[in-house]
Amino acid sequence: MTPGERIVHALLGCLMTAAFAVLYAPIVLVSALAFFPTLRGKVDWSSPSAAAFEKLAGNASILDALLNTLIVGMATVALSLALGTLLAYRTSRRNDWVSRLVEFVIFLPFLLPPIITGLSLLSAFQQAGIPRSLVTVVVGHILFVLALVYRLLLNRLRSIGASIVDASHDLGASGWQTFRYVLAPSLSSALLTSGVLVFALSFDETLITVFLSGDDSTLPIRLWAMIRVGFSQDINALVILILAFSAVMTLAISRLLQTRRARTTE
Amino acid sequence: MTDDSLAVGFSAPVGKPGLRWEAVFWFMVCTVPVVAVCVPLGLFLVTGFWHVENGTMVPALSLDNYATFFSNPTYVSVLRQTLTLAAEVALGNMLIGFGIAYFIWRCPQAWHFPLLVLGTIPLLMSYIIKLYALRSILGNNGFLNQALIGVGLFDKASDLFLFNQTSILITMGIIYLPFSILPIYLTLERIPQSLLQASADLGGSAWQTFRHVTLPCSLPGTVVGGMFSLILALGDFVTPQMVGGVKGFTFGRLIWSQFGMAFDWPFGAAMATILLILSLCVIVAAGAIIKRTEAV
Repeated sequence: MTPGERIVHALLGCLMTAAFAVLYAPIVLVSALAFFPTLRGKVDWSSPSAAAFEKLAGNASILDALLNTLIVGMATVALSLALGTLLAYRTSRRNDWVSRLVEFVIFLPFLLPPIITGLSLLSAFQQAGIPRSLVTVVVGHILFVLALVYRLLLNRLRSIGASIVDASHDLGASGWQTFRYVLAPSLSSALLTSGVLVFALSFDETLITVFLSGDDSTLPIRLWAMIRVGFSQDINALVILILAFSAVMTLAISRLLQTRRARTTE
Repeated sequence: MTDDSLAVGFSAPVGKPGLRWEAVFWFMVCTVPVVAVCVPLGLFLVTGFWHVENGTMVPALSLDNYATFFSNPTYVSVLRQTLTLAAEVALGNMLIGFGIAYFIWRCPQAWHFPLLVLGTIPLLMSYIIKLYALRSILGNNGFLNQALIGVGLFDKASDLFLFNQTSILITMGIIYLPFSILPIYLTLERIPQSLLQASADLGGSAWQTFRHVTLPCSLPGTVVGGMFSLILALGDFVTPQMVGGVKGFTFGRLIWSQFGMAFDWPFGAAMATILLILSLCVIVAAGAIIKRTEAV
C-alpha cells in the first residue's frame, strides 16, 4: 500500500469503528439500564439490582407474547421451509415460465415495503371474513420469508448438479425416493441455515404483523404498545434477554455459514 | 407433455398412473403462493378506487381518491418530504456502507468474516428495541444531550434530535445501515484479483484502479444496498411514529393512519398504490443499472 492508500485505509477504519459504535451503543446502553433504577429521568448508577428481572418474570402479558412469538416462529419455519424447498426443487428441475412467474411473485413481499403486504393481507382476510389470529400472522410471515428460503435452497440445489439426480432415476428411484435419499441429505445444512434465518426474521417481524395480529399479539407488537405508554424497567430486562437470544442465533448462523464456506472451498 | 406442464416430469414416463397426481401436486405447490400474494394485492389495489359512505366501503370505481390526494397540498408535501428523506437515508447509507465494506475488503482475509458478522448482528436485534433505545438516547433528557452538555458544546438540553424529521433521518440511517454493508461487500469480493493487478501492471495508480475498476465493478451491490434503504424508508411507519412526534409525519405513517384513526381504507389503499408504484420504479431502476453494469 502506498502512504496515500494507508491514510485512506486508516480513515475508513475510523469510520467503521464509529459506525459500529453507533450501531451497538443504543442497545448496550439500554440493557445496562436494566440493572439501575431510574428516577425522574436521572439514572441512579450507584445501586445495581436485579429487580427488573423479577418484575419481568411476573409480567404475564410479556410472557404470553413471548410464547406466541415462539409458536409463530416455529410454524413459519416449518411451513416456509417445506414450501420453499418444493418450489426451489421444481425450478432446479425445470426452469420454465411457471418457475419464473413463481419466482417473481414470491419476491414481491420480500422487496416491497412491508406495509403493502400487511395491508393487502389484512383487507383480504377482512373481506373473506377470517378473523385475525396467530394463523393470519403465520401466513404473513411465510409470504415474507419465502423468497429467502427459495433463493438459499435453489443455490444449494444448483451446486449439487443434475447428474446425481439423473443417476438416481436411472437406477429406478421414484421422485420421492430421489428427494428423500439423494437430495435431502445434501440439503440439510442449507435447510438449517434458512431455518435459523427465518426464525430470526419471524421473531422480529413488526411491520406486517401489526396488521395481522388479533388479540394474541407477538413480542414486537406487545413491546411497541408498552413503549408507546412509557419506559419501564422490565422492558430493559427484556432487552438483555432478547439481546442474548439474538446473539446466540447470530452465532449459530455465522457458524453454519462458516462451515458451509469451509466445505465449498475444500 | 400436454397436461403435465406443471409436473417436474422427470421420474415417470408419460402415461404412468402416478403422473396425474404428481401434476396436481405441483400445480398446488405453485398456485398456493402465487394466489396468496396476487389475490390480496389485486383486491387491495382495486379498493383504492372505491370510497366510504356512512362507515362502509362502496365498490364503485372512481379516481376520486387519487384526485383528493394530489389536490391536497398537505398530502403532496408529505410525499415530497418522504421522498427526500428516503433519498437522503439511501444516499447516506450507500456512502457509509461503501466505506465500511471497502475497508473490510482491504483488510487481511481472516478479518473479513468476523467484521461482516459484526456489521450484520444489529439486523437481528429487535427493531422495536433499537427504536426505543435510540429514542431514549436522542431525547431531551437523553445521553446525546447529556454528553454534549458534558463536553461543553451545549449549555442546555436541546430538542434538536427528537420528534422531528432529523431524528427520523438519523434513526432510519442507523437501523438500515447493515442492509447496505453486506451487498456492497459481496460485490467487492467478487472482483477478480487479476483485474486489479492488470490495472496496476498497466500503470494505473491506486486512485485510477479504484475509479475505473473497483467502483464500476461494485456498482450492482452499491445499488442494491441503497435500494433496500430507500424502499424501507418510503414505507416505514413505526420509526416515524416512535421518533418523529407530531412534526415527523411521513408517507408510510399517513397510509397507516387511514387504517387506524381516520378509518378511510379506500383512501389508504390508493396511497398504498402510489407507494407500490414508487417502490416498483425503484426496483426496476435498480435492476436496469445492475443489468447495464453487468453487460459492460
